[in-house]
Amino acid sequence: MAELDLKTIQKKVTAGASHRKVVAAAEAGQPICVASAGIPNEVLLAMGVSAMYPESLAAISSGIGKAGPFFEEARNRGLSAAVCSYTRCGLGICWTSQTAFGAIPRPALAITDVNMCSLHATWWAYLEDHFKLPTFYLDMPVTDDPSAPDYIAYYAQQIREMVAFIEGNTQSRLDMDRLRAALAHSDRAGLYWRKMLDLRKHRPSPLSFRSLAGWVLPLVIALGEEDTADFYEALYHQGVADVQQGKTPAQGGERYRLIWNGIPIWHHLQLINYFEEKGANFVWEPYTSLNWGNKTSTGRLDLDRPFDTMAEKYTNVYTNKTIERRFQYFDEAIRDYGVDGVVMFSNRSCRPQSIGLHELAELIQERHGLPILFFEGDQADPEGFSWDDARMRVDGYLEILEGRRQGTPA
Amino acid sequence: MIARFRELHETRHERARALKAQGRKIVASFYALAPKELVHAAGMVPVQLVEDRDARYETRAELLPYLCGMSRNLGGQIAAGALDYLDGVMVATVCDTNRHMVDVWAHQRAFARLWLLRTPAKDDDGAIAYYAGELRRVGRELGALSGQPVTDDRLGESIGLFNEHRALLRRFHAARPASGVSAEEAVHVVASALTTPVEEHSALVRELLAALPPAAPRAEPRLMVSALNIPMALDVIRMAEKYGATVVTDDLSHSPRYGSAEVPADADPYRALARGYLRRVPAPGMYPLEERAAWIRQAMDQAGAQGLIYLVQLYCDAYAFEYATLKDRFDRWKLPHLRLEAEATPASIEQLNVRVQAFVESLL
Repeated sequence: MAELDLKTIQKKVTAGASHRKVVAAAEAGQPICVASAGIPNEVLLAMGVSAMYPESLAAISSGIGKAGPFFEEARNRGLSAAVCSYTRCGLGICWTSQTAFGAIPRPALAITDVNMCSLHATWWAYLEDHFKLPTFYLDMPVTDDPSAPDYIAYYAQQIREMVAFIEGNTQSRLDMDRLRAALAHSDRAGLYWRKMLDLRKHRPSPLSFRSLAGWVLPLVIALGEEDTADFYEALYHQGVADVQQGKTPAQGGERYRLIWNGIPIWHHLQLINYFEEKGANFVWEPYTSLNWGNKTSTGRLDLDRPFDTMAEKYTNVYTNKTIERRFQYFDEAIRDYGVDGVVMFSNRSCRPQSIGLHELAELIQERHGLPILFFEGDQADPEGFSWDDARMRVDGYLEILEGRRQGTPA
Repeated sequence: MIARFRELHETRHERARALKAQGRKIVASFYALAPKELVHAAGMVPVQLVEDRDARYETRAELLPYLCGMSRNLGGQIAAGALDYLDGVMVATVCDTNRHMVDVWAHQRAFARLWLLRTPAKDDDGAIAYYAGELRRVGRELGALSGQPVTDDRLGESIGLFNEHRALLRRFHAARPASGVSAEEAVHVVASALTTPVEEHSALVRELLAALPPAAPRAEPRLMVSALNIPMALDVIRMAEKYGATVVTDDLSHSPRYGSAEVPADADPYRALARGYLRRVPAPGMYPLEERAAWIRQAMDQAGAQGLIYLVQLYCDAYAFEYATLKDRFDRWKLPHLRLEAEATPASIEQLNVRVQAFVESLL
């Protein structure tokens, strides 16, 4: 697919375009749902329910420097600054009925999962309570074995109950043909997302983590749409062309290949650029590689078993796996992607992503002896983050990598 | 008599080791949402992991700085060998920190056995059935560890014993405001319940109820303290009473809450446990908000409390978030309340003095 096509398609899946779609859907009389990341979008799409995602809106607001008023609103409402910044900012958005792109329409219902983090339960309980919204909780008990058949079956039943909840609270009805079509688009999007990430095994890797961090958005909020699948297919073809041309975001050539562990630091995404300016390129992240892309045992969605295949995919949550299992992913990636070092983001907002980081780092150092850089901060709240300090730490870390490259340990 | 409860709480590790020396196996719950009845029915001694102020634990915690004091403290206790008598730990999640500490403990092989209960967040029929199955699975494993299978009859008997214990604690909680038992003493009654064999503790509470000390004159204002961390709650109680208030009732996550939900009768004892625990124990984030707020108001009314101190342990998302939901109602009800947020260290608590004093004076 030509580059021009990519740009055309990309315009359809931006955050602004998504916001306009939600507003238009509301004007057309479609029900609007406040949804959390990780719920089966395909079902909403197949039922004609338009969704807005406070977590994504929080990340975007932070990324474009417009989260301040939402944090302020949360502070005024009594929420401690120790609470997750997505939650504070996301609630700020709900309280003010504003986003960085304009006003949000009045929602008719709310749906959340309760597994990716336990705050979702309290966060949506608050929405249910405060805004008097009919709310559905997709139950997914905590586990360290998400592949257990009874566990997956329980979640499949939750999806069926979600359908019943939507039908009970709106005029929407599930159309199985639409669901299969949405799953087909979702499958194609997931397939090309994975193929695209595989391109990073090439030296140099053609993709920038900063771009990927933005490109994740349609996977979170628009999975099942045809535009989303087209977008990732086009991105993949662009990536193939970039590989052929030897393109890389690492300036002066790719000198160091790194792993980023954690959610991106949305308020200082330029940190990624700073690595790239110094010749370092992120080639693998659990965030991009393990959270999306048809997370079933076959890597594809089974359209003949829509509820089961969605259940298998959505229960496959990285942070529900033991530290040893998480290390296996790193172990494989370090070998497959030829990794020189690891950057760990110790994120005070996200306990699931951060607890166990040091143990993981120990395992990586024992097996591979790679240098590891720790950043501590917050995914969306810039409070306390020092750009000067961050750059200084990157400089020091890259000196270590350079010393190893030249055979002179720092 | 009341001093006995304090002693039980403060010597819990020594007492557990003595039981261990007698050949008993000991399994801890982390925290109150993991049903102790299962452990008891397997013939083992159930205890609960509780925080403990000790500088040695703080320095050995070696955890991320933004984890709550409870988790850091438990990490320190493990590193110091304070919990070396445990044969296993059964975990039911109340928050992300408590859930993911299990990953670290499993990696460290901190305990011989760890059971992560797959606990639904709902209490509908599907959730009850799923959780009953999960409890049955864990019950089998507990029975294998102890050598005493968890039969339906044994589990039914254990449920009966714990229900009786809960009823006794409820009676104590109801009688306490009009008795001569101080707030600090009441905390020890409940704290000791968490780590003392249920038969022994029930007998002691029965004895206490039969001979409650007579009421002493109460200074005003009368307060309720809501808190999670036991040492922090004790600090704040002492602080409030130092400035002239009387803490007439409390809302410790371990105390009236532990006693609040009776496991209902059911032909299937596993289903009974599921029904008794899912969304029935008022832990922040796992309990309907409306009922939680109403429960606090009612408890304050019953005890004649004029104000509430709501203590958030820093980095405890559940409490920090719950406060925002409660605040709406407290403001609407014009319920005088003070939210405090602090770390679980003496230095952090000390800084609360001025605010507590100002709050107490505002109620005079």
